[in-house]
Amino acid sequence: MMAKSSYSKVDEYGFERPTNFNYELYDHFMSSYIRVLTRRAQRWNTLKYDIYKKPSTLKRFIRKGIPSDIRTAAWMHISGAEDIKNSSTFTYRTMKQKISNQSIIDIIEIDLPRTFPDNIYFSSHEHLPGMLFNVLATFAHQNKEVSYCQGLNYIVGLLLLATKDEESSFWLLKILVEKILPQYYIVTMTGLLTDLDVLDELVHKYEPLVHRHIHNIGMPWAMGTTKWFICLFSEVLPTETVFRIWDCLFYEGSKIIFRVALTLIRLHKDKILQTSELGELITCFREMKNHPSVINCHQFMNDIFKLSGNLSNSTIDKLRIKYGKKKL
Amino acid sequence: MSTRTGAAQRPNGSTQGKICQFKLVLLGESAVGKSSLVLRFVKGQFHEYQESTIGAAFLTQTVCLDDTTVKFEIWDTAGQERYHSLAPMYYRGAQAAIVVYDITNQDTFGRAKTWVKELQRQASPTIVIALAGNKQDLANKRMVEYEEAQTYADENGLLFIETSAKTAMNVNDIFLAIVDELDENVEVPGPNSNKLSKFSLLNKTVGVLSKALFAKIVFPISINRKDSIISCDPSL
Ligand SMILES: Nc1nc2c(ncn2[C@@H]2O[C@H](COP(=O)(O)OP(=O)(O)OP(=O)(O)O)[C@@H](O)[C@H]2O)c(=O)[nH]1
Ligand SMILES: [Mg+2]
Repeated sequence: MMAKSSYSKVDEYGFERPTNFNYELYDHFMSSYIRVLTRRAQRWNTLKYDIYKKPSTLKRFIRKGIPSDIRTAAWMHISGAEDIKNSSTFTYRTMKQKISNQSIIDIIEIDLPRTFPDNIYFSSHEHLPGMLFNVLATFAHQNKEVSYCQGLNYIVGLLLLATKDEESSFWLLKILVEKILPQYYIVTMTGLLTDLDVLDELVHKYEPLVHRHIHNIGMPWAMGTTKWFICLFSEVLPTETVFRIWDCLFYEGSKIIFRVALTLIRLHKDKILQTSELGELITCFREMKNHPSVINCHQFMNDIFKLSGNLSNSTIDKLRIKYGKKKL
Repeated sequence: MSTRTGAAQRPNGSTQGKICQFKLVLLGESAVGKSSLVLRFVKGQFHEYQESTIGAAFLTQTVCLDDTTVKFEIWDTAGQERYHSLAPMYYRGAQAAIVVYDITNQDTFGRAKTWVKELQRQASPTIVIALAGNKQDLANKRMVEYEEAQTYADENGLLFIETSAKTAMNVNDIFLAIVDELDENVEVPGPNSNKLSKFSLLNKTVGVLSKALFAKIVFPISINRKDSIISCDPSL
């Protein structure tokens, strides 16, 4: 399936490739990645459900990529979404029936055709926009603090493309917003503002030259990286790379976002240092998706775990407390 | 970058000229058409389904006015209320702002007024603010009267114009009216360079100018569509 699509103008998830897409480079990467995918599928297949009993093997396996055909079940299991689904008083179906608030319905409906309009599954598939609405509206009704935040439409859009299942997408969204990501989408977006400060400190520690350069030019991190946090790299990095990141995010938590961010910055260190003004710097950030090492998602995932030093969830949590925002 | 020389090249052969660059920010409720206005101005395109903006997008456009090359650095921000706290970093230091509302939606006009107030309080005191009533092509579904918006604009010293990103109506005009307004303080040298300011600044509300007048003004301006999204010339 993937081999064929590498020659198509549309990627395996239905997104149009950019006009300047480097087919040669991609073909080169795919010829080896196909072998990786085949091997990963075999390995997961032999272990079956036993894999979930061995945490260290599981972590290694997840970092090497969850095969796409078992992704839905694996994400549900490793993220805890399965558990909250089973222990919930309400089923997804009953929650869906409670959609009634007209102002929520209206703002979500405006964003439906504005979510991945260039993706063939969203523009021509009659069910996907409807499923997107159901997941977003059901979620908005059962979480009053978040309700609907723009950006979630892209996350659910990708969840639907990966799982093709409305109900799993809902529970995965719920676990992401309510457990994995801290307060990003609430009305004050305090979690986002905090994490931008955490990123600032981490860049200062890992790439002091880059840190100084970015401060000299005067780019607030929010300008270059809001989408990284809010959309979890959807629309920022190639889709396959995003799903590989999400594999780890669902299992290891939000610290993964910082590993990805620091790796992206490290990969582009020279380019960033060559910029001399804000516009150039923003361009550099926006074009990170075209870096060969980012397209080669397998290599990229390898790189993110090569960052030395302590980037554990507890380190990140301490920094979050340090930079925690008072109520604005 | 060759665009700059290209843009500065006048038919009469003079390539000498002033180059100015300024920072412009678009603000307004979600889905009023901020990104669409920028896309129309920068690329001459319109998308029926324009993706919602998260955070902000940065684009540039260079236009040539007589012997002056004007480079716009445009920040197109996200409209949803909760992204509000990120807005100051985009309007801080901006020389101009376009506050957009949708003429078919009264709430968006209220939101536009809130933005204007915030800019008047927090942005640079010399910032030029233009109010754009967008989706003029949907005038049959109009909910905000032209006169109401114009009165408000007059009272607050704003440029005002109704636009349509879809049909391109008045889109270039609003950007150029801003240049005019900004240019007021700067003496532009050259034979016919003051023509623009004379016209559109007779009245702050550029919307009252007739189409014919605008056609005259806009005609000699070469808008460089090749210099589309982000092409930053560090030498500028
Ligand atoms: N009929 C009509 N539709 C328009 C016009 N301008 C924009 N639209 C449509 O309105 C919708 C929203 O436009 P955007 O440009 O994305 O709005 P925005 O203000 O950037 O929205 P956010 O990014 O969410 O803040 C899109 O589907 C556009 O196609 C216009 O002049 N006329
Ligand atoms: Mg927009």
